[in-house]
Amino acid sequence: MRKALILILMIIGATTGVSAYRLKVVASYPYIASIVENIGKDRIQVSALARGDYDPHVIIPKPSYIGKVRKADLLIINGAQLEIGWLPPILNQAANPDILPGSRGFLDLSKYVSLIDVPESISRAQGDIHPEGNPHYYLDPYNIPPLSKAIAAKLNELDPGNESFYNGNLEAFLGLFNQKLEHWNDQMIPLKGAEVIEYHKNNDYFIRRFEMNLVGTVEPLPGIPPTSRHIESLEKIIQTKNIRFIFHDVYHPIEASRHLSIKFGLKLILIPHDVGAVKETDTIYSLYDTIIRRMVQ
Amino acid sequence: MKHVITFYLLFVCLITGLSAQNARDSAPFSQAKFVPDISLILDMSFLYRDMTNPRYQKYSIPAFTEFTPDQPIEDESPSHSIESSPRGFNLNYCEMSLYSVVDPYFDLFAVFHLSEHGIDLEEGYLTTRNFPHGLQAKAGKFLSHFGRINEQHEHYWDFSDIPLVYGSFFGGNLNEKGMRLSWVAPADFYFMLGGEILKGEDGSSFGSSGFGDAGGSVVVPEKDFPGISVSYVKSSFDVGDLTLLASLSGAFGTFRLHSGLDRSDDDGFAVDADAHVLGGALTLKYMMDSNRDITLQTEALYRTVDGTHYQTHAAAVSRNALTKRQSGLYCQLVHKGSRRWRMGIRLDYLDRNHFDLGGETAPLPRGLSRYSGMIECNPTEFSRIRVQANLDRSRFIKSEGLFRNKSVFEAMLQINLAIGAHGAHAF
Repeated sequence: MRKALILILMIIGATTGVSAYRLKVVASYPYIASIVENIGKDRIQVSALARGDYDPHVIIPKPSYIGKVRKADLLIINGAQLEIGWLPPILNQAANPDILPGSRGFLDLSKYVSLIDVPESISRAQGDIHPEGNPHYYLDPYNIPPLSKAIAAKLNELDPGNESFYNGNLEAFLGLFNQKLEHWNDQMIPLKGAEVIEYHKNNDYFIRRFEMNLVGTVEPLPGIPPTSRHIESLEKIIQTKNIRFIFHDVYHPIEASRHLSIKFGLKLILIPHDVGAVKETDTIYSLYDTIIRRMVQ
Repeated sequence: MKHVITFYLLFVCLITGLSAQNARDSAPFSQAKFVPDISLILDMSFLYRDMTNPRYQKYSIPAFTEFTPDQPIEDESPSHSIESSPRGFNLNYCEMSLYSVVDPYFDLFAVFHLSEHGIDLEEGYLTTRNFPHGLQAKAGKFLSHFGRINEQHEHYWDFSDIPLVYGSFFGGNLNEKGMRLSWVAPADFYFMLGGEILKGEDGSSFGSSGFGDAGGSVVVPEKDFPGISVSYVKSSFDVGDLTLLASLSGAFGTFRLHSGLDRSDDDGFAVDADAHVLGGALTLKYMMDSNRDITLQTEALYRTVDGTHYQTHAAAVSRNALTKRQSGLYCQLVHKGSRRWRMGIRLDYLDRNHFDLGGETAPLPRGLSRYSGMIECNPTEFSRIRVQANLDRSRFIKSEGLFRNKSVFEAMLQINLAIGAHGAHAF
């Protein structure tokens, strides 16, 4: 009996006391985890729930996510209803009051950027629309600095006394990221005004930032697979325009986009939508490096 | 004349009310933003069966759909068998649910089953929001978290009907009034312990009502607390793209059944027994990518009933020891081949069927099976069209003291639509 007690105490000691406490951060998507890593470094433990190469709208809510959210001190989400199809049941079952929406350990990043395409009227006849606006805002790299500042402020709030650490990391991150932004901007200047088609409306922020023109989408409506009728009408548009690229993502079936690409000799680009979407996008920097390299090559 | 004046006054009030609203554009006491999440799910089907409805009703799964193999139960008794839809067009259900946060301490869920005949409160419960240490309580009327399929609503099932073993042990789902406490471990995998105390009105495996005979020699009082206690442990972890979820559950309670024991004729009987149902569940889901996966789901249940059987004989009541041992399982494999298309096969198998009354074992058929297959198209996550076929070899009719089996073929077309704030599904 005494041995068992000592063993239990040892286990508790091993899990809590030995090393300095590290703030446990859970991010819904990998791009968030990558920013958090840059700011929290070794003072935090961060993990992402969804995989970067899966469709961010339809993540399967694995029960293991419940355990991860249960022990989190901070939950950071993309927001704008991108997680509505999978995260609510995880939060309901995790029984962790510290990270529920509205509590200190909850951060909705969509509140720190301005959303585009906010629909004036809502009907599911328009497909899978997001009432708060287009949620794929993080594909505009200029949105990353405000997100990183919000994350640093939240880490300072939850782990007080380490302002110099977090703020120093934030400065370093912003310094490098702003250099990168200038570089990306220079690379994208020749593509200003290029007319593009995308499969799903997840590159709109990027297209807008670098002043390209979106001419059409391969999907007739968000979340609805292409029909032959819609492809025909898209072909008519392509014939009258000077389309430069078709943007496709890594999770939708590629056949319709490939058909248009071959038929009209258009360059089809697979755009990684998140960190981890393709092999070479393992950090927040290489995400935009890869997207832009695939366009300018 | 009076009507005209009333109408006129009403009209004036309305107009002045509207214009006042327009003039100041103020609604200081509006509570519109507090409207709970509302959803409505409509489920309808067309069913073909190679047997007419009246004939099908004469068939049963011996000692599974009725408690005793011989004695028909009168209508007012609490027992209820598997609900099978009749042939033809069916409006299966229209499910309305309301959900909202109550305050910083509670969430409230209510689910109504609306049918052509009335409204049923399917579920109505609270869950706590801020219990510490991973604890959460639930109270009200809710689907028990026993096993795997039991806590799922009908529209989440992969097939349009409940597995035979659930249908016969719980008359569908185990859905009761009571309380639940659960604990989730803080870990990178899922580990949950839970317990429930339920009223025990289910009627298929459990019951709580009291009974007595006309002479007063048998008095079994109502058991009001607790009718059933349920406990379970569930765990899940990921191995690469494979997710494994396993659980063990037990439901322990009393079984009560009475049919005309208080009358002094010869066909009254009653049962007072301890009933236990044990279950093991295993789900394996392998994800190929965002849109394609393959899922194996299987559950095995075992039921024991031990107690006393009361039978009226010419104004006297005889007592006999009663023992029942039954088991069954289902196993289903569902493949999601694309965002829209899913197909699956299912095997239902009722294995053990032992019924012993006063030392005499009833000659009951065992090893009963049903085979099902389905294909479904989900145009979006809010609509589903499913075709399902069943070959049911579990149905028997008793004639000249012998059970005769008849294979029943069923085919159905099912349409399920959801509008409103349709919540995300759990794993």
